[in-house]
Amino acid sequence: MRVPRPYALLAEITYQCPLHCPYCSNPVTVKSAVPSGEHIGPTALRAAHTTAGNGELTTEEWQRVIREAAALGVLQIGFSGGEPLARRDLVELIRAAREAKLYTNLITSGIGVDHDRVRMLRDAGLDSIQLSFQSDRSSLADEIAGVRAHDRKLDVAAKIRAAGIPLSLNFVIHRRNIDRLPQMIDLTEALGAERVELANVQFYGWAFRNRAALLPTREQVDRARDVATTAKARLAGKIAIFYVFPDYYEARPKPCLNGWGQRYLTVNPIGDVLPCPTASSAIPDLRFENVRESALDWIWQESESFNRFRGTEWMPEPCRSCPQREIDFGGCRCQAALLTGTAANTDPVCEFSPNRAVVDAVLHDINSSSEHMREWTYRTNPSASPISV
Amino acid sequence: MRATTISDLARPSLAKGVRLQIDSATGKSVLLYPEGIVELNETAHEILSRCDGRTLGEIVYELAEEYEADSNALAADVRDTLSDLQRRKLVKLT
Repeated sequence: MRVPRPYALLAEITYQCPLHCPYCSNPVTVKSAVPSGEHIGPTALRAAHTTAGNGELTTEEWQRVIREAAALGVLQIGFSGGEPLARRDLVELIRAAREAKLYTNLITSGIGVDHDRVRMLRDAGLDSIQLSFQSDRSSLADEIAGVRAHDRKLDVAAKIRAAGIPLSLNFVIHRRNIDRLPQMIDLTEALGAERVELANVQFYGWAFRNRAALLPTREQVDRARDVATTAKARLAGKIAIFYVFPDYYEARPKPCLNGWGQRYLTVNPIGDVLPCPTASSAIPDLRFENVRESALDWIWQESESFNRFRGTEWMPEPCRSCPQREIDFGGCRCQAALLTGTAANTDPVCEFSPNRAVVDAVLHDINSSSEHMREWTYRTNPSASPISV
Repeated sequence: MRATTISDLARPSLAKGVRLQIDSATGKSVLLYPEGIVELNETAHEILSRCDGRTLGEIVYELAEEYEADSNALAADVRDTLSDLQRRKLVKLT
């Protein structure tokens, strides 16, 4: 099989975050690279390489990963986390990405940036910032984030505009904020952003744990779709609106990652290389390679984890003989693993999946209950290196 | 036709946040923007590499000279390409 070249690297440089959003896609429990005394071999070796003390890749290691990614064909990098601003060396990493000619995107809550740091990010060559918001106003937004953050974000957005950095707003949509979609679009206009992502929550990591509190009702979903369609037409040529529909309500699965190991790779804070950011927690039986032990191009081209679901050979029925197999690639491996226990199964969102009943049962539960507000569990930071909020 | 509405005096430029670059893996020109990549054909590359404050009329004139092409046909191509990119918010016209 001819292996394609990757286009984009998601660099999850830390799992630390001052926010506690219950829909975070980060793993609920994080594999630590700090030796506990029982570990020998590769895990202890990893710890020996780090200066951070929490197993995170060092500045030099990230700089090497960035160069290796560019050599492999990557054109875009997204710095994410956790909260990437929690890394003091972020400006250095952005500079390294620009030296490697990568289009450089920062995906951030904005907490931890002042006017000087915004200008330093710009001067390092940052191409674009995606700033997260939890809702359009502080009362609800702060309740979702589990911390007072909204008013600071408004201030950060103004600083980003003043520095002239292209700005996108990212909203994760769920049952508690989906009815505020018109106001979120108004906020995007008011803040002068070029672009907005209104993405219904996808159920991985903390979001999977909190699914019963987060999944919107069918009525909400239908209304939100109309709002998004109308706003797209009204703001065409002015603001680019990307609305991501909640896939549980679809009859066909999303073309996840445009196929496994086709275009994207993720490197997580401890250097594991993942075909998808949620793969390490969703697919526990897959062993992932680490940039401390192997070259990135070998991992991309040769490793078992990147080849397991590449192409269409691995597919079982009904995907194997489905005319859609090169269009949706059988959907999402992580979702198949989380909902059916087997990553190679057809994504159960698909109407042809023998497991579609699993999704329908979840939808039935949400849509037949009158209990609108359900409790969620806030995300907590990995305990290895607590940071102050 | 929408494409003919672009004036000869319009000055096309890359939209904010959009970068023109050579993809070293293929040697081809690409536009990079948030979460997106567009591979350019030769016409689009020749046009966009001249979008540095020059007017549409100047760009057409230069390309017609360089390629010894009919400037009317070329002008239509250039307008089509630019209006397509403008619709995708990758190019702005001032």
